[in-house]
Amino acid sequence: MLTHLFKLIWNKKKQNFLLMTEMFVSFIILFAVFTALVYYYQNYHRPMGFEYDRVWKFGYNAPREISDPDSMAAFRGSVRQLIRSMPQIEEVSFSSENIPFGNDNNVGGVNYYKKNVGADKYTVDDSYSAVLHVSVKEGRWFSKEDDAAKEKPVVINETLKKSLFGNENAIGKLIGEGGEGMGNMKIVGVINDLKDKGDFAGPHNGLYRRVDTGNYGGGAILLKVSSDADRAFESRLFKVLSSTMRNPDINIQHLAYMRTRINNIRLIPVIITLIVAGFLIINVALGLFGVLWYNISKRKSEIGLRRAVGASGHSISGQLVGEALVLSTISLIVGSFFALQFPLLNIFDLPALTYLIAQGLAIAFIYLLVMICAFYPGRQAAAIYPAVALHED
Amino acid sequence: MIRLQNIEKVYRTSAIETLALNSISLDIAKGEFLSVMGPSGCGKSTLLNIMGLLDAPTKGDIKIDEQRTDHFSDKQLAQFRNRKLGFVFQSYHLINDLKVLDNVELPLLYRTSSGNERKKLASAALEKVGLSNRVKHFPSQLSGGQKQRVAIARAIVGRPEIILADEPTGNLDSAMGSEIMDILLQLNATDNTTIIMVTHDEYMASKTHRLVRLFDGVLVQ
Repeated sequence: MLTHLFKLIWNKKKQNFLLMTEMFVSFIILFAVFTALVYYYQNYHRPMGFEYDRVWKFGYNAPREISDPDSMAAFRGSVRQLIRSMPQIEEVSFSSENIPFGNDNNVGGVNYYKKNVGADKYTVDDSYSAVLHVSVKEGRWFSKEDDAAKEKPVVINETLKKSLFGNENAIGKLIGEGGEGMGNMKIVGVINDLKDKGDFAGPHNGLYRRVDTGNYGGGAILLKVSSDADRAFESRLFKVLSSTMRNPDINIQHLAYMRTRINNIRLIPVIITLIVAGFLIINVALGLFGVLWYNISKRKSEIGLRRAVGASGHSISGQLVGEALVLSTISLIVGSFFALQFPLLNIFDLPALTYLIAQGLAIAFIYLLVMICAFYPGRQAAAIYPAVALHED
Repeated sequence: MIRLQNIEKVYRTSAIETLALNSISLDIAKGEFLSVMGPSGCGKSTLLNIMGLLDAPTKGDIKIDEQRTDHFSDKQLAQFRNRKLGFVFQSYHLINDLKVLDNVELPLLYRTSSGNERKKLASAALEKVGLSNRVKHFPSQLSGGQKQRVAIARAIVGRPEIILADEPTGNLDSAMGSEIMDILLQLNATDNTTIIMVTHDEYMASKTHRLVRLFDGVLVQ
């Protein structure tokens, strides 16, 4: 029977071409949508790598009148002491502006001899890991012993370690800020990847440099507050810090809120794509349904004949569903050929598994859609009385 | 071979009821070649459809080969048609998207048989109707007479005991019609196939063993 179906489809290839093209295009769009969804889902289920609960960000610009590094270091020291003296504050950390869930990025090159990769670069202090509860996988976090280090100490994340060294040990190796040759940054630790660009963002290379508290400029102070830190405390903290900083350009944000905001921003394009894809799927379903329905009315005589020569109602509906499935299989084979190029050519730098799962889901979805759309017309065809069908020719 | 007892067929719509067949009783013996005649709309095709189990009577019993068919399920009816009956229609009812050989193979698709076996049987049936040289043609490439011969090959490929022919020569000129009639007569004579043929042609009917006439759904002769 399958050979018979292939013959029938092959002999009607011109009529079937449009339907197969529609299925092919639907598969490609579904593949793209599922790739995004699978990627987001996989990222969502990655461990966060740090704790953002009860962490506040205080954004600031240092007072302009402090110009020399020693005064700046002293000023930062006094700010830290002032904040630390409040009972609701558990930990304080100075950091560059590109804190978790923030909008700021600092991306640059990192090299190990001739191997160059791009990485997000963070400038943080010794208490950063304590504020965010970052877990160190290998080596250690920054500490006082780095004050006298000959080479600049850096901590890298797991992804950057894999990018530069594969499965080799990274501790003690010297890396540079892009280019070639041996760098002057010594890796002292490897930490877990932090999902600091939102729940749906993928892993990225991360390089953590130790802050130079004498440098002029602004940045962020991350505060780990106690559970009783309420609105009133936040208001008091704001007042104290604004008078200390002598600068109106300051703000306090909660990392939990920032996380929600960045997640929403990331979800918007996906939701738009889903809506567009949803309309497309409805369109394809209606098209498919219409074509199959039309097939029945056009092929009533054939259906009557088949019934006369021995086909049961069941085998007629099976044939119609089977034909639709064979057509979709041909479209999916062509579509899969194109879809497989994505992992093979490493397009968009996503894991191969993401593409393969998305491809499987898109195939299953198309088959399901085709079966649903073919089922009712198939049942209608099965219900046609042979004498009536033959009479209508 | 076929026994019809008090067959009645009523077509109902929301507005009217039409009595297409009224109390038809008819016995057809094995190997008999019966022709059914009557004016248009008298119920000839309806009678043939009922004998071919393509339609169900409103009342009455049908026995084919001593078997009552009224309790058959859809699947059993399909299998029965496939094994026992062959159909030839006035408008051929060939599938235009299939080649001649594939059209003839059609009844064999609904029984257990290998592809090679199907091909062999279909080729033999086509040879019987003198169309061995047209196996790879599509129906659109054939003349009316050739199409009807393909339809006959399709009807006999499964070696049915009964052939039901609904005006098989109706769309053909007299020469072609005679050719088709000769094939049917030969099938009846050599294979002892029971044939019931609906026709408008007195000459063709005269060549058969028996003629029955229908008028307004009633058997009159």
